[in-house]
Amino acid sequence: MYRLKEGILDKSFLNDGIEQIDAILKEEGISRRDAMKMFGLGGAAMMMGSGAITEAKASSSAKGKILIVGGGLSGIAAASLLMRSLDEPDITIIEPNEKSASYQPGQTLVGGGVWENSDTEYMTEDFMPDGVTWIKEKAVEFDPDNNVVKTNSGQSVAYDFMIVAAGLKLDFAQIEGLGITDSITSRGDDSAVKNAIGKNGIGSIYFANGATNTWKLMQEFIEKAKSGQKVQGVFTHPNTPIKCGGAPKKIMYLTDARLREADARDNAELTFYPNGGKMFGVPEYHEAIVKQFETRDMKWNYNHNLIGVDPQAKIATFYKHWLEKGEYDDVLEEYSMVARGEKVEVPYDFLHITPPMKAAEEIANSPIGSDQGWVPVIKETMQHVKYPNVFALGDIAAVPMGKTGGSARKQYKVVVENLISVMEGKELTAEYGGYTVCPLITSLSTVMLAEFDWSGKPTPSFPLDPTQERWIWWLLKVYALKPMTQYGMLAGRA
Amino acid sequence: MKKTAAIFFGTLMMMALSGCGDDTNTKHEVKNYKYTTAEVYAKMCVKCHGEKGEGVKKEKGPALNDQEVYELKTGITDIKMGGIGGHSGGTEHEIMEHNMQKIIDKGMDYDTDAMAQYIYDNFNINK
Repeated sequence: MYRLKEGILDKSFLNDGIEQIDAILKEEGISRRDAMKMFGLGGAAMMMGSGAITEAKASSSAKGKILIVGGGLSGIAAASLLMRSLDEPDITIIEPNEKSASYQPGQTLVGGGVWENSDTEYMTEDFMPDGVTWIKEKAVEFDPDNNVVKTNSGQSVAYDFMIVAAGLKLDFAQIEGLGITDSITSRGDDSAVKNAIGKNGIGSIYFANGATNTWKLMQEFIEKAKSGQKVQGVFTHPNTPIKCGGAPKKIMYLTDARLREADARDNAELTFYPNGGKMFGVPEYHEAIVKQFETRDMKWNYNHNLIGVDPQAKIATFYKHWLEKGEYDDVLEEYSMVARGEKVEVPYDFLHITPPMKAAEEIANSPIGSDQGWVPVIKETMQHVKYPNVFALGDIAAVPMGKTGGSARKQYKVVVENLISVMEGKELTAEYGGYTVCPLITSLSTVMLAEFDWSGKPTPSFPLDPTQERWIWWLLKVYALKPMTQYGMLAGRA
Repeated sequence: MKKTAAIFFGTLMMMALSGCGDDTNTKHEVKNYKYTTAEVYAKMCVKCHGEKGEGVKKEKGPALNDQEVYELKTGITDIKMGGIGGHSGGTEHEIMEHNMQKIIDKGMDYDTDAMAQYIYDNFNINK
């Protein structure tokens, strides 16, 4: 099907077609039921489209014991594709969490009151491919020189080849004043944070209960604004790499939209406090977002990193940083710059925290980890820089801009293809180009589909201006991406 | 509604055919740089990072000769894109991000991967 891509449809025809449909939808709207029906079919069509490629691949008779650490989206997708690509697959997954196959991208929609938690929660056993051995434990020790991993029960698991897809940890403990000392994951035990996050106006969509509570807190915030009180909404973005880099803004757009829906926007001031100095690394998207913020009277203060919260006084403390002119530099023929900073206190009524994120310590401190924690791989082949029989993908991999489901969707195919090449003693030929995608939710009916890669330029999959907010991408986000992910990608077919 | 629905399904089929998630690896245009990586290094980097990437304390330029290729690639990407997250996380190399912009303004832009490889091949002390 893909081979027909260029020939079958003239690009301008497709462009006009989608533009027109986008306009019709804007005018007529579409009921939830109709959208579900249509997108269900569409999603199936898309899966068939992508499936055609992977089905066409010849199967391999290569042998070896493959261990996958982590049974989230990346780990299961890789396992599924390996099961179909090898004649005699021998695959073990170590994953302690029974809900690791849940649909994380839906948490933003839960936080905005569009979905409920049950729309995002999935049992891992329903997605574990037949024939895979599932060890429901945690990998705690890595000995890549002897090809052995130890689990929390003390069990040693030997392997010939390993794929690390362990995800990342949410580290609220780096923020002072919350009384949090341990890190958590997006699903599973959140007892380390539940006394601080999800109450007193502090929300976070980055974990399941946090998302549910964010919606409750947002409603309280809106009620206050509606009653005539002047309220402050504060949205943070930390100084560590994070998964889904767009989510800190998406929840802000949704707050804006919900306030407008309640006719209470005028009483609320919404401000984005990111550690960085821009909205987006890709200039085209940066400019589009700045305009969207201005149109909505959403404010921002760059170069602010959240370092503390006083939940009683409702004050957030940021480290504000900037560059000052230093001595003259005769090589640059410019004044050199000196970094300066100070603490800034910001009162809030509603605070959305995007927590600092890190690799799990047992991985970071092991021989397969790195100074930064993330598992270092050759970014094109996803092969470990020191251990050729080890690959990594998803949130744990040390590649720029790679922590999204969209990245993982490209990475798992590269990993599987290259792993099979290693097993067969061949050269690695599959390359990841850094593709990632952020369906940036900008209201309750629009999304800007920001696709980009390491070139730092937009890389749209569709012949449409990617900087526009569109109805059709809202429908894609709300109705099509989940079935594509859960039934396409987890099955190694999309 | 039926009409809209029909059009809608048609679009989705088109989307399917257009390849939502094109799997071919798009190769981007090869940019022609004015100077070689060696020339850029000699002119722009030596003062702070040293003749052999050993770092210059006085200039607060860190050593580069103990970094692996992947570390150099990630570091330079972080500098050039103002952060490796692609969004609003910011960079770990704030001052160097500023300097990099000046280097580009002077017509001394360079290929990230080629520079990382050059530094590793010529200066790395752990090889």
